[in-house]
Amino acid sequence: MLRDVTFGQYYLTKSFVHSMDARIKLILCLLFMVGIFFVQSFVGFAFVALFLLVAIGFSHVPLGSIVKSIKGIIFLLCLTALLNMFFTKDGNLLVSWWIFEIYDQGLIVAAKMLLRLVFLVMGSSLLTLTTTPVDLTHAIESLLKPLKVIKFPAHELALIMSLTLSFIPGLIEETDRIISAQKARGASFDSGNLIKRAKAFVPILIPLLVGGFRKAEELANAMNSRCYEGSTNRTQMRVMKLSWRDLVGALITVAVFATIFVVYAMRSQWSTITWLYF
Amino acid sequence: MSETTQQNVIIELQNATYYYKTFAEDGTAVQDIGVEGVTLSICEGDFVALVGHNGCGKSTLAKLLNGLLRPTNGKVLVSGMDTADKKCIFDIRKSVGMVFQNPDNQRVASIVEEDVAFGPENLGVPSAEIRERVYKALEQVNMVEFAHSAPSRLSGGQKQRIAIAGALAIQPKVLVLDESTAMLDPLGRKEVLAVAHQLNKQGMTVILITHFMEEVLDANKVIVMNNGHVVSQGTPMEIFTNTKLLEEVGLRAPRAVQLSHLLHQAGFAVTDNNTDIKMLGGEVCQELKR
Repeated sequence: MLRDVTFGQYYLTKSFVHSMDARIKLILCLLFMVGIFFVQSFVGFAFVALFLLVAIGFSHVPLGSIVKSIKGIIFLLCLTALLNMFFTKDGNLLVSWWIFEIYDQGLIVAAKMLLRLVFLVMGSSLLTLTTTPVDLTHAIESLLKPLKVIKFPAHELALIMSLTLSFIPGLIEETDRIISAQKARGASFDSGNLIKRAKAFVPILIPLLVGGFRKAEELANAMNSRCYEGSTNRTQMRVMKLSWRDLVGALITVAVFATIFVVYAMRSQWSTITWLYF
Repeated sequence: MSETTQQNVIIELQNATYYYKTFAEDGTAVQDIGVEGVTLSICEGDFVALVGHNGCGKSTLAKLLNGLLRPTNGKVLVSGMDTADKKCIFDIRKSVGMVFQNPDNQRVASIVEEDVAFGPENLGVPSAEIRERVYKALEQVNMVEFAHSAPSRLSGGQKQRIAIAGALAIQPKVLVLDESTAMLDPLGRKEVLAVAHQLNKQGMTVILITHFMEEVLDANKVIVMNNGHVVSQGTPMEIFTNTKLLEEVGLRAPRAVQLSHLLHQAGFAVTDNNTDIKMLGGEVCQELKR
Protein backbone atom coordinates (compact mmCIF):
# COMPACT_ATOMS: atom_id res chain seq x y z
CA MET A 1 0.00 0.00 0.00
CA LEU A 2 2.81 2.40 0.80
CA ARG A 3 4.98 1.21 -2.04
CA ASP A 4 3.74 3.34 -4.86
CA VAL A 5 5.50 6.50 -3.81
CA THR A 6 7.31 7.48 -6.97
CA PHE A 7 9.12 10.50 -5.64
CA GLY A 8 12.86 9.95 -5.50
CA GLN A 9 12.59 6.78 -7.52
CA TYR A 10 14.93 6.68 -10.44
CA TYR A 11 13.70 4.99 -13.59
CA LEU A 12 16.66 3.11 -15.00
CA THR A 13 16.96 3.30 -18.78
CA LYS A 14 19.02 5.01 -21.46
CA SER A 15 17.63 8.07 -23.19
CA PHE A 16 18.30 11.56 -24.42
CA VAL A 17 16.99 13.11 -21.21
CA HIS A 18 18.82 10.62 -18.98
CA SER A 19 22.16 11.48 -20.51
CA MET A 20 21.71 15.22 -20.16
CA ASP A 21 23.80 16.94 -17.54
CA ALA A 22 22.06 16.98 -14.16
CA ARG A 23 22.94 20.62 -13.58
CA ILE A 24 21.31 21.68 -16.84
CA LYS A 25 18.26 19.53 -16.08
CA LEU A 26 17.95 21.07 -12.64
CA ILE A 27 18.14 24.62 -13.97
CA LEU A 28 15.67 23.82 -16.76
CA CYS A 29 13.33 22.23 -14.23
CA LEU A 30 13.44 25.38 -12.13
CA LEU A 31 12.75 27.43 -15.25
CA PHE A 32 9.82 25.14 -16.01
CA MET A 33 8.42 25.51 -12.49
CA VAL A 34 8.62 29.29 -12.61
CA GLY A 35 7.44 29.47 -16.21
CA ILE A 36 4.32 27.41 -15.61
CA PHE A 37 2.96 30.23 -13.42
CA PHE A 38 3.18 32.63 -16.32
CA VAL A 39 0.93 30.54 -18.53
CA GLN A 40 -2.52 32.09 -18.63
CA SER A 41 -4.49 30.69 -21.53
CA PHE A 42 -5.60 27.19 -22.36
CA VAL A 43 -3.67 27.50 -25.59
CA GLY A 44 -0.61 28.14 -23.43
CA PHE A 45 -1.32 25.04 -21.37
CA ALA A 46 -1.72 22.99 -24.53
CA PHE A 47 1.65 24.34 -25.63
CA VAL A 48 3.26 23.31 -22.31
CA ALA A 49 1.53 19.91 -22.46
CA LEU A 50 2.97 19.36 -25.91
CA PHE A 51 6.43 20.30 -24.67
CA LEU A 52 6.04 17.99 -21.67
CA LEU A 53 4.91 15.10 -23.86
CA VAL A 54 7.87 15.56 -26.18
CA ALA A 55 10.22 15.66 -23.18
CA ILE A 56 8.64 12.51 -21.73
CA GLY A 57 8.90 10.85 -25.13
CA PHE A 58 12.61 11.58 -25.28
CA SER A 59 13.08 10.29 -21.72
CA HIS A 60 11.74 6.77 -22.45
CA VAL A 61 9.95 6.89 -19.10
CA PRO A 62 6.50 5.29 -19.41
CA LEU A 63 3.76 7.88 -19.07
CA GLY A 64 2.23 5.71 -16.33
CA SER A 65 5.18 6.27 -13.99
CA ILE A 66 4.80 10.01 -14.35
CA VAL A 67 1.04 10.00 -13.97
CA LYS A 68 1.50 7.89 -10.85
CA SER A 69 3.38 10.77 -9.23
CA ILE A 70 0.18 12.84 -9.38
CA LYS A 71 -1.64 10.28 -7.24
CA GLY A 72 0.35 11.40 -4.22
CA ILE A 73 -1.00 14.94 -4.32
CA ILE A 74 -4.54 14.18 -5.45
CA PHE A 75 -5.98 15.54 -2.20
CA LEU A 76 -4.10 18.80 -2.58
CA LEU A 77 -5.30 19.05 -6.18
CA CYS A 78 -8.95 18.58 -5.23
CA LEU A 79 -8.70 21.06 -2.39
CA THR A 80 -7.09 23.71 -4.58
CA ALA A 81 -9.63 23.18 -7.33
CA LEU A 82 -12.56 23.41 -4.91
CA LEU A 83 -11.26 26.53 -3.19
CA ASN A 84 -10.67 28.24 -6.51
CA MET A 85 -14.08 27.20 -7.71
CA PHE A 86 -16.01 28.59 -4.76
CA PHE A 87 -14.00 31.68 -3.97
CA THR A 88 -13.72 33.19 -7.41
CA LYS A 89 -16.64 35.61 -7.77
CA ASP A 90 -16.16 36.70 -11.36
CA GLY A 91 -18.17 36.33 -14.54
CA ASN A 92 -21.66 34.83 -14.83
CA LEU A 93 -23.32 33.04 -11.95
CA LEU A 94 -23.94 29.44 -12.95
CA VAL A 95 -25.14 27.67 -9.80
CA SER A 96 -26.16 29.07 -6.47
CA TRP A 97 -27.03 26.90 -3.50
CA TRP A 98 -27.05 27.98 0.15
CA ILE A 99 -23.76 29.83 0.64
CA PHE A 100 -22.11 28.26 -2.40
CA GLU A 101 -21.98 30.12 -5.65
CA ILE A 102 -20.20 28.92 -8.73
CA TYR A 103 -19.29 31.39 -11.44
CA ASP A 104 -18.01 30.44 -14.89
CA GLN A 105 -14.76 32.28 -14.20
CA GLY A 106 -14.37 30.17 -11.07
CA LEU A 107 -14.48 27.00 -13.13
CA ILE A 108 -11.91 28.38 -15.52
CA VAL A 109 -9.57 29.52 -12.74
CA ALA A 110 -9.93 26.16 -10.99
CA ALA A 111 -9.18 24.25 -14.18
CA LYS A 112 -6.11 26.36 -14.85
CA MET A 113 -4.81 25.93 -11.31
CA LEU A 114 -5.35 22.21 -11.59
CA LEU A 115 -3.43 22.03 -14.86
CA ARG A 116 -0.66 24.16 -13.42
CA LEU A 117 -0.17 21.88 -10.40
CA VAL A 118 -0.39 18.70 -12.46
CA PHE A 119 2.23 19.98 -14.91
CA LEU A 120 4.38 21.17 -12.03
CA VAL A 121 4.43 17.70 -10.48
CA MET A 122 4.90 15.97 -13.82
CA GLY A 123 7.79 18.23 -14.73
CA SER A 124 9.58 17.78 -11.45
CA SER A 125 9.04 14.03 -11.41
CA LEU A 126 10.49 13.89 -14.90
CA LEU A 127 13.63 15.33 -13.33
CA THR A 128 13.75 12.81 -10.48
CA LEU A 129 12.86 9.88 -12.73
CA THR A 130 15.64 10.61 -15.20
CA THR A 131 18.31 11.73 -12.75
CA THR A 132 19.81 9.55 -10.04
CA PRO A 133 19.70 11.09 -6.57
CA VAL A 134 23.49 10.98 -6.67
CA ASP A 135 23.61 13.02 -9.87
CA LEU A 136 21.04 15.38 -8.50
CA THR A 137 23.07 15.99 -5.37
CA HIS A 138 26.23 16.38 -7.43
CA ALA A 139 24.34 18.98 -9.44
CA ILE A 140 23.07 20.82 -6.37
CA GLU A 141 26.52 20.67 -4.84
CA SER A 142 28.11 21.99 -7.99
CA LEU A 143 25.54 24.78 -8.40
CA LEU A 144 25.87 25.80 -4.75
CA LYS A 145 29.66 25.69 -4.83
CA PRO A 146 30.05 29.46 -5.23
CA LEU A 147 28.35 29.82 -1.84
CA LYS A 148 31.32 28.09 -0.20
CA VAL A 149 32.89 31.52 -0.04
CA ILE A 150 30.44 32.38 2.74
CA LYS A 151 31.11 28.95 4.36
CA PHE A 152 27.87 27.46 3.13
CA PRO A 153 28.14 23.65 3.60
CA ALA A 154 27.18 22.73 0.03
CA HIS A 155 28.65 19.21 0.06
CA GLU A 156 27.20 18.26 3.44
CA LEU A 157 23.77 19.54 2.48
CA ALA A 158 23.88 17.63 -0.80
CA LEU A 159 24.95 14.41 0.92
CA ILE A 160 22.20 14.69 3.53
CA MET A 161 19.67 15.10 0.75
CA SER A 162 20.93 12.14 -1.22
CA LEU A 163 21.01 9.88 1.86
CA THR A 164 17.50 10.95 2.77
CA LEU A 165 16.31 10.12 -0.72
CA SER A 166 17.97 6.73 -0.83
CA PHE A 167 16.68 5.81 2.64
CA ILE A 168 13.04 6.60 1.86
CA PRO A 169 12.25 3.23 0.19
CA GLY A 170 13.84 1.37 3.11
CA LEU A 171 11.86 3.35 5.66
CA ILE A 172 8.65 2.77 3.72
CA GLU A 173 9.33 -0.96 3.70
CA GLU A 174 9.99 -0.88 7.41
CA THR A 175 6.77 1.04 8.05
CA ASP A 176 4.89 -1.59 6.08
CA ARG A 177 6.49 -4.31 8.16
CA ILE A 178 5.70 -2.62 11.46
CA ILE A 179 2.09 -2.03 10.44
CA SER A 180 1.74 -5.70 9.52
CA ALA A 181 3.36 -6.76 12.78
CA GLN A 182 1.03 -4.56 14.83
CA LYS A 183 -2.00 -5.72 12.84
CA ALA A 184 -1.00 -9.32 13.48
CA ARG A 185 -1.21 -8.55 17.18
CA GLY A 186 -4.69 -7.15 16.83
CA ALA A 187 -4.05 -3.44 16.40
CA SER A 188 -6.58 -1.67 14.25
CA PHE A 189 -5.79 1.49 12.35
CA ASP A 190 -9.04 2.22 10.59
CA SER A 191 -11.70 2.13 13.29
CA GLY A 192 -12.73 4.54 16.01
CA ASN A 193 -12.73 8.31 16.01
CA LEU A 194 -9.96 10.57 14.85
CA ILE A 195 -8.15 10.72 18.20
CA LYS A 196 -8.28 6.97 18.57
CA ARG A 197 -6.86 6.51 15.12
CA ALA A 198 -4.11 9.02 15.75
CA LYS A 199 -3.25 7.18 18.94
CA ALA A 200 -3.08 3.90 17.05
CA PHE A 201 -0.17 5.31 15.08
CA VAL A 202 2.02 5.78 18.14
CA PRO A 203 2.99 2.06 18.19
CA ILE A 204 4.11 2.49 14.58
CA LEU A 205 6.03 5.72 15.02
CA ILE A 206 8.06 4.63 18.03
CA PRO A 207 9.61 1.51 16.46
CA LEU A 208 10.11 3.45 13.25
CA LEU A 209 11.97 6.19 15.10
CA VAL A 210 14.10 3.73 17.05
CA GLY A 211 14.83 1.81 13.86
CA GLY A 212 15.74 5.06 12.15
CA PHE A 213 18.33 5.87 14.78
CA ARG A 214 19.77 2.36 14.54
CA LYS A 215 20.00 2.65 10.77
CA ALA A 216 21.64 6.04 11.09
CA GLU A 217 24.26 4.69 13.47
CA GLU A 218 25.07 1.74 11.25
CA LEU A 219 25.30 4.05 8.27
CA ALA A 220 27.61 6.39 10.16
CA ASN A 221 29.86 3.45 11.04
CA ALA A 222 29.90 2.27 7.44
CA MET A 223 30.72 5.76 6.18
CA ASN A 224 33.48 6.18 8.76
CA SER A 225 34.91 2.80 7.81
CA ARG A 226 35.11 4.01 4.25
CA CYS A 227 37.21 7.01 5.28
CA TYR A 228 34.51 9.68 5.10
CA GLU A 229 35.70 13.02 6.45
CA GLY A 230 33.38 15.59 4.98
CA SER A 231 34.17 17.61 1.90
CA THR A 232 37.92 18.01 2.52
CA ASN A 233 40.04 16.56 -0.28
CA ARG A 234 37.09 14.77 -1.77
CA THR A 235 37.03 13.87 -5.46
CA GLN A 236 34.25 12.48 -7.62
CA MET A 237 34.24 9.51 -9.93
CA ARG A 238 31.87 11.09 -12.39
CA VAL A 239 33.15 14.21 -14.04
CA MET A 240 30.23 16.27 -15.23
CA LYS A 241 30.67 17.28 -18.82
CA LEU A 242 28.33 19.26 -21.03
CA SER A 243 27.46 17.73 -24.38
CA TRP A 244 25.46 18.67 -27.46
CA ARG A 245 22.39 17.13 -25.81
CA ASP A 246 22.51 19.73 -23.08
CA LEU A 247 22.71 22.50 -25.63
CA VAL A 248 19.78 21.13 -27.65
CA GLY A 249 17.63 20.44 -24.56
CA ALA A 250 18.39 23.83 -23.07
CA LEU A 251 17.72 25.67 -26.31
CA ILE A 252 14.33 24.00 -26.78
CA THR A 253 13.24 24.56 -23.20
CA VAL A 254 14.44 28.14 -23.11
CA ALA A 255 12.72 28.82 -26.44
CA VAL A 256 9.43 27.40 -25.13
CA PHE A 257 9.49 29.45 -21.97
CA ALA A 258 10.80 32.57 -23.65
CA THR A 259 7.69 32.38 -25.82
CA ILE A 260 5.54 31.97 -22.72
CA PHE A 261 7.13 34.95 -21.00
CA VAL A 262 6.77 37.10 -24.08
CA VAL A 263 3.12 36.12 -24.52
CA TYR A 264 2.50 36.84 -20.84
CA ALA A 265 4.12 40.22 -21.11
CA MET A 266 2.13 41.11 -24.20
CA ARG A 267 -1.21 39.95 -22.84
CA SER A 268 -0.76 41.23 -19.37
CA GLN A 269 -3.02 44.02 -18.22
CA TRP A 270 -0.09 45.70 -16.64
CA SER A 271 2.03 45.23 -19.70
CA THR A 272 3.49 48.65 -19.33
CA ILE A 273 4.74 47.86 -15.83
CA THR A 274 5.98 44.38 -16.73
CA TRP A 275 7.90 45.67 -19.67
CA LEU A 276 9.96 47.73 -17.28
CA TYR A 277 11.25 44.53 -15.71
CA PHE A 278 12.18 42.90 -18.96
CA MET B 1 46.33 -20.37 3.67
CA SER B 2 49.95 -21.30 4.32
CA GLU B 3 51.03 -22.97 7.48
CA THR B 4 54.37 -21.19 7.54
CA THR B 5 55.42 -19.68 10.82
CA GLN B 6 57.27 -16.82 9.19
CA GLN B 7 54.44 -14.31 8.79
CA ASN B 8 54.16 -10.61 9.41
CA VAL B 9 51.79 -9.53 12.13
CA ILE B 10 49.35 -6.99 10.69
CA ILE B 11 46.94 -6.43 13.58
CA GLU B 12 47.96 -6.68 17.16
CA LEU B 13 45.75 -6.30 20.22
CA GLN B 14 47.50 -5.80 23.52
CA ASN B 15 45.22 -6.29 26.48
CA ALA B 16 42.53 -4.38 24.59
CA THR B 17 39.51 -3.49 26.69
CA TYR B 18 36.37 -1.59 25.85
CA TYR B 19 33.56 -0.70 28.25
CA TYR B 20 30.22 0.64 27.10
CA LYS B 21 28.64 3.35 29.21
CA THR B 22 25.05 2.47 29.94
CA PHE B 23 22.56 3.60 32.51
CA ALA B 24 20.96 1.45 35.16
CA GLU B 25 17.26 1.81 35.86
CA ASP B 26 17.87 4.29 38.67
CA GLY B 27 19.84 6.52 36.31
CA THR B 28 23.36 5.82 37.56
CA ALA B 29 26.03 5.25 34.95
CA VAL B 30 27.34 1.72 34.79
CA GLN B 31 30.01 0.13 32.68
CA ASP B 32 29.11 -2.75 30.45
CA ILE B 33 31.85 -5.01 29.24
CA GLY B 34 32.29 -4.90 25.49
CA VAL B 35 35.59 -6.71 25.37
CA GLU B 36 38.08 -7.16 28.18
CA GLY B 37 41.77 -7.96 28.19
CA VAL B 38 41.99 -9.24 24.64
CA THR B 39 45.50 -10.00 23.48
CA LEU B 40 45.92 -11.51 20.05
CA SER B 41 47.71 -11.01 16.80
CA ILE B 42 46.57 -11.52 13.24
CA CYS B 43 49.11 -12.27 10.55
CA GLU B 44 49.17 -11.17 6.94
CA GLY B 45 47.36 -13.63 4.68
CA ASP B 46 45.43 -15.25 7.51
CA PHE B 47 41.82 -16.30 7.26
CA VAL B 48 40.64 -15.82 10.80
CA ALA B 49 37.18 -16.78 12.00
CA LEU B 50 35.90 -15.04 15.11
CA VAL B 51 33.06 -16.95 16.70
CA GLY B 52 30.85 -16.64 19.74
CA HIS B 53 27.15 -16.40 20.49
CA ASN B 54 25.23 -13.11 20.38
CA GLY B 55 26.49 -10.39 22.69
CA CYS B 56 29.87 -12.00 23.30
CA GLY B 57 31.79 -8.94 22.10
CA LYS B 58 32.61 -10.00 18.55
CA SER B 59 31.26 -6.83 16.97
CA THR B 60 32.87 -4.62 19.59
CA LEU B 61 36.16 -6.28 18.80
CA ALA B 62 35.56 -5.67 15.09
CA LYS B 63 34.94 -1.96 15.71
CA LEU B 64 38.19 -1.77 17.67
CA LEU B 65 40.10 -3.05 14.65
CA ASN B 66 39.60 0.04 12.49
CA GLY B 67 39.26 2.64 15.19
CA LEU B 68 35.48 3.03 15.10
CA LEU B 69 35.87 2.46 18.84
CA ARG B 70 39.00 3.36 20.74
CA PRO B 71 40.03 0.94 23.48
CA THR B 72 39.31 2.08 27.05
CA ASN B 73 42.46 0.29 28.11
CA GLY B 74 45.21 -1.46 26.25
CA LYS B 75 46.26 -0.96 22.67
CA VAL B 76 45.17 -1.90 19.17
CA LEU B 77 47.93 -1.69 16.57
CA VAL B 78 47.32 -1.92 12.82
CA SER B 79 50.59 -2.22 10.87
CA GLY B 80 52.21 -0.64 13.90
CA MET B 81 49.81 2.33 13.98
CA ASP B 82 47.88 2.91 17.20
CA THR B 83 44.11 3.29 16.63
CA ALA B 84 44.02 5.77 19.52
CA ASP B 85 46.23 8.12 17.51
CA LYS B 86 43.90 10.46 15.67
CA LYS B 87 46.52 11.32 13.08
CA CYS B 88 46.68 7.72 11.87
CA ILE B 89 42.97 7.03 11.81
CA PHE B 90 42.53 7.40 8.04
CA ASP B 91 45.61 5.33 7.29
CA ILE B 92 44.21 2.65 9.60
CA ARG B 93 40.80 2.70 7.94
CA LYS B 94 42.52 2.57 4.57
CA SER B 95 44.19 -0.69 5.54
CA VAL B 96 41.24 -2.29 7.33
CA GLY B 97 38.10 -2.50 5.19
CA MET B 98 34.91 -3.38 7.00
CA VAL B 99 31.60 -4.87 5.90
CA PHE B 100 28.65 -4.93 8.28
CA GLN B 101 25.60 -7.07 8.85
CA ASN B 102 22.80 -5.25 7.11
CA PRO B 103 23.62 -4.43 3.48
CA ASP B 104 20.81 -1.86 3.31
CA ASN B 105 22.20 0.23 6.13
CA GLN B 106 25.70 0.62 4.73
CA ARG B 107 24.75 1.92 1.34
CA VAL B 108 25.35 5.57 0.53
CA ALA B 109 24.24 5.75 -3.10
CA SER B 110 21.39 4.33 -5.10
CA ILE B 111 23.50 3.08 -8.02
CA VAL B 112 25.98 0.25 -7.53
CA GLU B 113 29.05 1.90 -9.08
CA GLU B 114 28.44 5.17 -7.24
CA ASP B 115 28.21 3.32 -3.97
CA VAL B 116 31.45 1.44 -4.58
CA ALA B 117 33.11 4.74 -5.54
CA PHE B 118 32.28 6.36 -2.18
CA GLY B 119 35.47 5.15 -0.47
CA PRO B 120 38.03 6.24 -3.08
CA GLU B 121 36.11 9.52 -3.53
CA ASN B 122 36.64 10.19 0.16
CA LEU B 123 40.33 9.50 -0.22
CA GLY B 124 40.68 12.12 -2.95
CA VAL B 125 41.69 9.66 -5.66
CA PRO B 126 41.62 11.18 -9.19
CA SER B 127 38.43 10.48 -11.17
CA ALA B 128 39.93 8.14 -13.77
CA GLU B 129 41.61 6.03 -11.12
CA ILE B 130 38.40 5.83 -9.09
CA ARG B 131 36.65 4.28 -12.09
CA GLU B 132 39.49 1.78 -12.47
CA ARG B 133 39.34 0.84 -8.80
CA VAL B 134 35.56 0.53 -8.82
CA TYR B 135 35.57 -1.87 -11.76
CA LYS B 136 38.44 -3.88 -10.37
CA ALA B 137 36.59 -4.23 -7.07
CA LEU B 138 33.37 -5.22 -8.83
CA GLU B 139 35.32 -7.79 -10.83
CA GLN B 140 36.75 -9.26 -7.63
CA VAL B 141 33.23 -9.90 -6.33
CA ASN B 142 31.84 -10.89 -9.77
CA MET B 143 29.35 -8.04 -9.93
CA VAL B 144 30.56 -6.02 -12.92
CA GLU B 145 27.38 -6.65 -14.88
CA PHE B 146 25.37 -4.93 -12.13
CA ALA B 147 27.48 -1.74 -12.09
CA HIS B 148 24.57 0.43 -13.18
CA SER B 149 21.80 -1.34 -11.27
CA ALA B 150 19.93 -0.09 -8.26
CA PRO B 151 21.07 -2.08 -5.19
CA SER B 152 17.51 -2.23 -3.86
CA ARG B 153 16.61 -4.64 -6.69
CA LEU B 154 19.44 -7.10 -5.91
CA SER B 155 19.41 -10.17 -3.69
CA GLY B 156 20.91 -10.11 -0.20
CA GLY B 157 24.04 -11.95 -1.29
CA GLN B 158 24.54 -9.60 -4.22
CA LYS B 159 24.01 -6.53 -2.01
CA GLN B 160 26.58 -7.83 0.42
CA ARG B 161 29.05 -8.48 -2.40
CA ILE B 162 28.56 -4.86 -3.44
CA ALA B 163 29.34 -3.83 0.13
CA ILE B 164 32.53 -5.93 -0.05
CA ALA B 165 33.42 -4.21 -3.34
CA GLY B 166 32.90 -0.87 -1.56
CA ALA B 167 35.46 -1.91 1.04
CA LEU B 168 37.85 -3.31 -1.60
CA ALA B 169 37.84 -0.06 -3.58
CA ILE B 170 39.80 1.48 -0.70
CA GLN B 171 42.42 -1.24 -1.35
CA PRO B 172 42.73 -2.48 2.21
CA LYS B 173 45.14 -5.11 3.49
CA VAL B 174 42.61 -6.60 5.87
CA LEU B 175 38.94 -7.26 5.22
CA VAL B 176 36.68 -7.58 8.26
CA LEU B 177 33.29 -9.19 7.66
CA ASP B 178 31.27 -8.31 10.75
CA GLU B 179 28.40 -10.83 10.74
CA SER B 180 28.07 -10.08 7.04
CA THR B 181 26.44 -13.42 6.37
CA ALA B 182 23.99 -13.33 9.28
CA MET B 183 21.07 -11.83 7.37
CA LEU B 184 21.54 -13.83 4.17
CA ASP B 185 19.85 -16.95 2.85
CA PRO B 186 22.03 -20.08 2.38
CA LEU B 187 22.80 -19.20 -1.23
CA GLY B 188 23.78 -15.64 -0.36
CA ARG B 189 26.01 -16.93 2.45
CA LYS B 190 27.73 -19.27 0.02
CA GLU B 191 28.35 -16.43 -2.45
CA VAL B 192 29.82 -14.13 0.17
CA LEU B 193 32.02 -16.87 1.64
CA ALA B 194 33.26 -17.85 -1.80
CA VAL B 195 34.28 -14.24 -2.44
CA ALA B 196 36.00 -14.05 0.95
CA HIS B 197 38.02 -17.20 0.29
CA GLN B 198 38.91 -16.10 -3.21
CA LEU B 199 40.20 -12.79 -1.87
CA ASN B 200 42.17 -14.62 0.79
CA LYS B 201 43.84 -16.73 -1.89
CA GLN B 202 44.89 -13.52 -3.61
CA GLY B 203 46.65 -12.48 -0.42
CA MET B 204 43.99 -10.54 1.48
CA THR B 205 43.87 -11.02 5.22
CA VAL B 206 40.26 -11.88 6.09
CA ILE B 207 38.61 -11.72 9.49
CA LEU B 208 35.24 -13.42 9.37
CA ILE B 209 32.93 -12.81 12.30
CA THR B 210 30.09 -15.27 12.48
CA HIS B 211 28.03 -17.60 14.60
CA PHE B 212 27.55 -20.18 11.86
CA MET B 213 30.08 -22.87 12.65
CA GLU B 214 29.87 -24.27 9.12
CA GLU B 215 31.52 -21.08 7.88
CA VAL B 216 34.48 -21.63 10.16
CA LEU B 217 35.58 -24.90 8.51
CA ASP B 218 37.96 -23.42 5.96
CA ALA B 219 39.52 -20.78 8.20
CA ASN B 220 43.10 -21.33 9.21
CA LYS B 221 42.61 -19.86 12.65
CA VAL B 222 39.58 -19.71 14.91
CA ILE B 223 39.13 -17.36 17.83
CA VAL B 224 36.34 -18.15 20.27
CA MET B 225 34.87 -15.36 22.37
CA ASN B 226 32.57 -15.44 25.35
CA ASN B 227 31.40 -12.59 27.61
CA GLY B 228 33.94 -10.18 26.15
CA HIS B 229 36.93 -12.48 26.58
CA VAL B 230 38.85 -14.58 24.13
CA VAL B 231 38.46 -18.07 25.57
CA SER B 232 40.28 -20.10 22.97
CA GLN B 233 42.28 -19.89 19.76
CA GLY B 234 43.28 -22.65 17.40
CA THR B 235 42.66 -24.44 14.14
CA PRO B 236 39.03 -25.29 13.32
CA MET B 237 39.71 -28.96 14.18
CA GLU B 238 41.15 -28.13 17.57
CA ILE B 239 38.08 -26.05 18.36
CA PHE B 240 35.52 -28.53 17.00
CA THR B 241 36.91 -31.43 18.96
CA ASN B 242 36.93 -29.50 22.21
CA THR B 243 33.32 -30.30 23.05
CA LYS B 244 33.65 -29.04 26.61
CA LEU B 245 34.68 -25.60 25.42
CA LEU B 246 31.96 -25.45 22.81
CA GLU B 247 29.33 -26.38 25.36
CA GLU B 248 30.59 -23.70 27.75
CA VAL B 249 30.29 -20.93 25.19
CA GLY B 250 27.01 -22.17 23.74
CA LEU B 251 28.28 -23.17 20.32
CA ARG B 252 28.13 -26.36 18.34
CA ALA B 253 30.50 -28.07 15.95
CA PRO B 254 29.27 -28.32 12.35
CA ARG B 255 26.75 -31.11 11.77
CA ALA B 256 29.15 -33.25 9.73
CA VAL B 257 31.71 -33.18 12.53
CA GLN B 258 29.13 -34.03 15.18
CA LEU B 259 27.64 -36.84 13.14
CA SER B 260 30.94 -38.42 12.14
CA HIS B 261 32.11 -38.24 15.74
CA LEU B 262 28.96 -39.97 17.02
CA LEU B 263 29.12 -42.65 14.29
CA HIS B 264 32.78 -43.23 15.02
CA GLN B 265 32.06 -43.61 18.73
CA ALA B 266 29.26 -46.06 17.93
CA GLY B 267 31.81 -48.27 16.24
CA PHE B 268 31.26 -47.55 12.56
CA ALA B 269 34.27 -47.38 10.29
CA VAL B 270 34.06 -43.70 9.44
CA THR B 271 36.68 -41.00 9.84
CA ASP B 272 36.35 -39.33 13.20
CA ASN B 273 35.55 -35.57 13.20
CA ASN B 274 35.11 -35.38 9.48
CA THR B 275 34.37 -31.90 8.15
CA ASP B 276 33.58 -33.06 4.64
CA ILE B 277 29.91 -34.00 4.52
CA LYS B 278 30.19 -35.64 1.08
CA MET B 279 33.07 -37.84 2.19
CA LEU B 280 31.11 -38.78 5.29
CA GLY B 281 28.15 -39.68 3.10
CA GLY B 282 30.37 -41.92 0.97
CA GLU B 283 31.74 -43.65 4.01
CA VAL B 284 28.29 -44.24 5.43
CA CYS B 285 27.19 -45.79 2.11
CA GLN B 286 30.22 -48.05 2.15
CA GLU B 287 29.33 -49.15 5.68
CA LEU B 288 25.75 -49.87 4.71
CA LYS B 289 26.77 -51.97 1.71
CA ARG B 290 29.02 -54.09 3.86
